[in-house]
Amino acid sequence: MIINGVTIDETFAEAFPMKGTRLIITAHNAKWAMISAQAFTGFATSVIACGCEAGIERELDSSETPDGRPGVAVLIFAMGGKGLAKQVETRSGQCVLTSPTSALFSGLESETEMALGQNLRYFGDGFQISKMIDGKRYWRIPVMDGEFLTQEKTGVAAAVGGGNFLVLAESQPQALAACEAAIEEMKKIPNVIMPFPGGVVRSGSKVGSKFKALNASTNDAFCPTLKGQTKSDLSPEVESVMEIVIDGLTKEDIDKAMRVGIQAVCDLGAENGIRRISAGNYGGKLGPFHFHLQEIMA
Amino acid sequence: MSALTFTLKTTPAQRIDCSPLTPDRLTNMSLADIAAVALVTGNHTERVDSLFDISGDNSSDIAIVNSCDKLDFIGHNMTTGRISVTGNVGAYLGQFMEGGQIEVNGNSDIYTACEMKAGQIKINGNAGDFVGGARPGYKNGMTGGTVIVTGNTGARTGDHMRRGMILIEGDAGDYCGARMVSGTVAVLGQVGAHLGYGMKRGTLLLTQAPAQGISANFNDCGSHTLAFLPLLFASFSKLDSKFASVESFSRVQRYAGDIGGIGMGEILVKL
Repeated sequence: MIINGVTIDETFAEAFPMKGTRLIITAHNAKWAMISAQAFTGFATSVIACGCEAGIERELDSSETPDGRPGVAVLIFAMGGKGLAKQVETRSGQCVLTSPTSALFSGLESETEMALGQNLRYFGDGFQISKMIDGKRYWRIPVMDGEFLTQEKTGVAAAVGGGNFLVLAESQPQALAACEAAIEEMKKIPNVIMPFPGGVVRSGSKVGSKFKALNASTNDAFCPTLKGQTKSDLSPEVESVMEIVIDGLTKEDIDKAMRVGIQAVCDLGAENGIRRISAGNYGGKLGPFHFHLQEIMA
Repeated sequence: MSALTFTLKTTPAQRIDCSPLTPDRLTNMSLADIAAVALVTGNHTERVDSLFDISGDNSSDIAIVNSCDKLDFIGHNMTTGRISVTGNVGAYLGQFMEGGQIEVNGNSDIYTACEMKAGQIKINGNAGDFVGGARPGYKNGMTGGTVIVTGNTGARTGDHMRRGMILIEGDAGDYCGARMVSGTVAVLGQVGAHLGYGMKRGTLLLTQAPAQGISANFNDCGSHTLAFLPLLFASFSKLDSKFASVESFSRVQRYAGDIGGIGMGEILVKL
């Protein structure tokens, strides 16, 4: 398959099941909601070392938030429910509770729930106040700037992590520009995040390493400087490869995000130095979710 | 199907325990069986059809017509369905209620919503003392649900209340929120003396400052913007009540007390 001079490899991205939730962070104004959300989603690029993957889904205006203030929706994913609960609790406590004027709400309804403010309330040292409103429990925790309001629980969804595609370009600036264009379009799709810095990862990994201590190491087959040194997957004209990783609440959400992202890259086309789109997989042995590039773009 | 209607024949000489007349108790019963249900009145029992004319067949929608303040325990222990009452009702309306709706077009007597757990009671009139309270000697009053009173309430509204909401469109009597453990009592009108006496936790939300002032047992915590109030008002919007049209506010003067006890309750007065 070739789109606008860009070859779409006959391969698939391999993704795996995760647990995820959406949280809504509000504040006195959009600026402080975003600051809190950025803190919450910091150091959350990969479960390999961060314990979770998190990102900002979108900004919310006052009419979309529970307390009528500007807000930000964030998505956070982890490999299991316990891990997710731990990450949500520590990040909420250190990054949202601490952020001036913030409030924190669940953004996902589900039969399965986990703690949100349920344990944060103890920060109130006995002065915390519970309020049941419309069948949901909230905690009012006194803090130095007033009160921190948080919902007691949030829903947990079975989610999908690790959807991806690789952009192979003739130069580093061209690969970066293509990825930026893709991220711009992918941000418009709900229920997904691209957790790496700016949505783009330049250090894609393969499973395993020659060093026993490491579970993952550089994806040498896609490293352009190793073309003559390893079993490379790159043609001579490819000088830079970047990857976009996608986590989503459902497989369909990731499908949509990959489609618009790949399309944005292909729109730049061969004339802007884009040669191929490929994807990372582990032979189909790691994850049950397979995103076949040519099927997605058909 | 039409509402199962009980029309009181005459004003009874003795009080009548109406607790058997709930959707839960009358479901799947024939009209003949319903007519034969025994109601305790005074020191004896009477058949339902000796006290009421019965019509209709929908036992999940019960109407009590021509009611008077001697009909006690209406909606006792009900978990589902609806009871509407035309006229006044006696004591213990909706006691132990766990679900469903009761609407009274008249006044209710003492202990309305006593130890209620869930559901909604609306009094289109006045309510007596101890709305949402606990039985004498018991420690937990209302533990859930919503009570709306379009008129005034008597003394000790929310006594020992533990959870849920009491919304009073008129005035509340003396000792409003006394010994309250948690929950919310909101009053659009005035409140009587000794507001929040012995209050442990919970919220008394007032849209106007109490004419008699705040008790010395409550300490002024200053004026604040509280983020939970817009959520609370948003939850009122679907109610058939003046509270649905109250303009949302979050700016309040906060008083904490009763400091004669643990002092974790609060009175919030709109600024």
